Amino acid sequence: MPWVFNEPLVTLTHAETGERSKALWEAEDLGGMTEDNNRLPVPVVILVALTIATAFLTTIPLWGQRPTAAIYVDYIKAMDTPEIQSIQEAQGDDAAMKRIVEINKDNPLKAQQGRHPVSMDDLRVLKPQIEEIMKLPAVDLKDYTVVGPVVKIANFEGNFRANGKRERQQPWWDKGFTIDLFYLTMFFVGVTITVKRLPAYHWQPRHHEADPRHGERRHNA
Amino acid sequence: MILKYLFGKNEAIPVGSAAIFFGFSSIMWFVIGTGLGSFNAAKLAFPDFVTGTEMFAFGHMRQVHVLAVIFGWISMAFAMAMMYITPILGNTRLWSEKLGLWNCMMWNISLLLGLSLLWMGVTSGREYSDFPWPLDLAVAAFITIPLAVNVWMTIIKRRTQGIYTTNWFFAAATFMLIIVFLVGNLPEYFHLTGLTEAYMTWWFAHNVLGLWITPVAAAIAYYVIPKVTGNPLYSHRIGHLHFWSIVVFYSTPAAHHLMSAPLPEWLKSFASVEGVLILVPAIAFVSNILLTMQGKWNMFVENLEVRFTVVGVLLAIPLNMQGGFQQTRSINWYIHGTGWMVAHAHLALLGFSTFLEAAAVYLGLQTLMKRKLYSLTLGNLHFWLLLIGFSTYWISMTIAGLIQGAGKIYEVPYIDVVIAEHPYMIARWLGGTMVFSSTLIWLYNMWMTAREGTVIPAGRMPHELAYER
Repeated sequence: MPWVFNEPLVTLTHAETGERSKALWEAEDLGGMTEDNNRLPVPVVILVALTIATAFLTTIPLWGQRPTAAIYVDYIKAMDTPEIQSIQEAQGDDAAMKRIVEINKDNPLKAQQGRHPVSMDDLRVLKPQIEEIMKLPAVDLKDYTVVGPVVKIANFEGNFRANGKRERQQPWWDKGFTIDLFYLTMFFVGVTITVKRLPAYHWQPRHHEADPRHGERRHNA
Repeated sequence: MILKYLFGKNEAIPVGSAAIFFGFSSIMWFVIGTGLGSFNAAKLAFPDFVTGTEMFAFGHMRQVHVLAVIFGWISMAFAMAMMYITPILGNTRLWSEKLGLWNCMMWNISLLLGLSLLWMGVTSGREYSDFPWPLDLAVAAFITIPLAVNVWMTIIKRRTQGIYTTNWFFAAATFMLIIVFLVGNLPEYFHLTGLTEAYMTWWFAHNVLGLWITPVAAAIAYYVIPKVTGNPLYSHRIGHLHFWSIVVFYSTPAAHHLMSAPLPEWLKSFASVEGVLILVPAIAFVSNILLTMQGKWNMFVENLEVRFTVVGVLLAIPLNMQGGFQQTRSINWYIHGTGWMVAHAHLALLGFSTFLEAAAVYLGLQTLMKRKLYSLTLGNLHFWLLLIGFSTYWISMTIAGLIQGAGKIYEVPYIDVVIAEHPYMIARWLGGTMVFSSTLIWLYNMWMTAREGTVIPAGRMPHELAYER
């Protein structure tokens, strides 16, 4: 089964092997079934490409990933300010929480805060835990995730930092997507090789004499 | 008669016996499965219907319905299709009719035993893999492995050099089902608990759908459409794209069933992308079959098997659009745990795959028994009752799911959600009961076909005689 690489987009098969495949394709009776050799129509190719792009685009922002403790630090600091406490006393928790969100509208983590809204009751549960963690030396709150009412060390284990601690923050580009790219690459390489070992797509089998089409090409002749 | 064949010589067993027994078994299980489904739906529509008996509680009955349909109707119809189609495509006989008959008998006994235990409340408690572990091993030993051996040996002993697309899927799916069954039930053999159990449970459930039901149903379409229309399959090349994308993209997204679980984030993101990529095999499959129909669209109206097949293929479009996107985080948070998922599961099993299996059983039983369908009118009635019943079910449960999703997000009191979705539960019951009625008609029609159907002359296909008296 020699390979040829001079026209890789047309065929990877040696001419002699291709001719044998064509002869077999036309002569063999697979229970009366016949197959044509059409290529994937261009609109369908576009649809496949669109699907792959969509697969990444709809998941890359990582909607719904667990919030880190870092996104609530400024909320917790705001809780103790006189402004918030007075609103809370006069108008209740909801108004106070609304004001906390307003104060943080320019926060660098506002996108994540928006995706993980909390109530004043939630903050009351999280506050002592986050404050306790902040007492630790050289702590990075992005290493901690909020799982329901509990603040926990994130379950990702990255490289060791200079201080000997594990990095607990997975880079945005490496949250499973690299494995997806590996799978996609292997898939397309595999299928391309398989398909390009067939006779080139501009060749169509004429099928056997028993074929009701009497050897005529049907689809894209 | 089956006992005579079970202990007779393989050569003495008429060709197609195993497929015929599997075919009728599958219809019987379809009647049982949809009957249970109709009963369960009635309990949801009318809460006072049959109460006070533990065995008839919804929690007991639901899993019996699900497994009766998956391992009774769907899987036995697949076995029928394999025992009928695999030898034809290899220009040979089934490797062992005797093994096929034993397989059929043990399958029925194992399933009957398993469902009886479930009914009595003996369950592993794991959705889709509800059987207790000794029965899981029995299923592997008496159902999946003998089926795979028969299919593989028939392909190995074929009298052709090439292997037609349908047989790629049959061979791969029977192999993958064994792996799925043995690995997916590991939590039961080794008492794995917690997140590991949850992941393995959904790895099993996802792959039973993705590596068994989806590819085998598609394989049936690859056979029925070219065979009945007389057209060549549009593209062998697209067949490759379909096959390998099923293997790669359907086998990997199990974690997308657990997007809110504390699984590693990379695993969920990986699974979510792969989940959207299931649209790749769907696009390849649908385009290949619909393009094969070129010049023969009149048969969509005139021919029962083509109509069943094309409807199944068309239903693959909404099925995969839903399946691909509903698992992404941005949609999953809303519809997870609602009736939307129930509607989607029925779109897969009662829509897409059931229509394709029905086509295979119609075509296979008529061809093997050499009998023309007893009544085309009853066949048409079966089709329309099934289609309208399924559509009613699917649409009503989708709406109910959206109501439940809204109720969940906006924290509406549970009882208010129950009241809001009540009309859709009644519609669900009506749709399910129409499906159940259609299966009774089908069973009668096929039984009468066996007894009184017009004999098909040698060399003719059943559909060629459909409109001849």
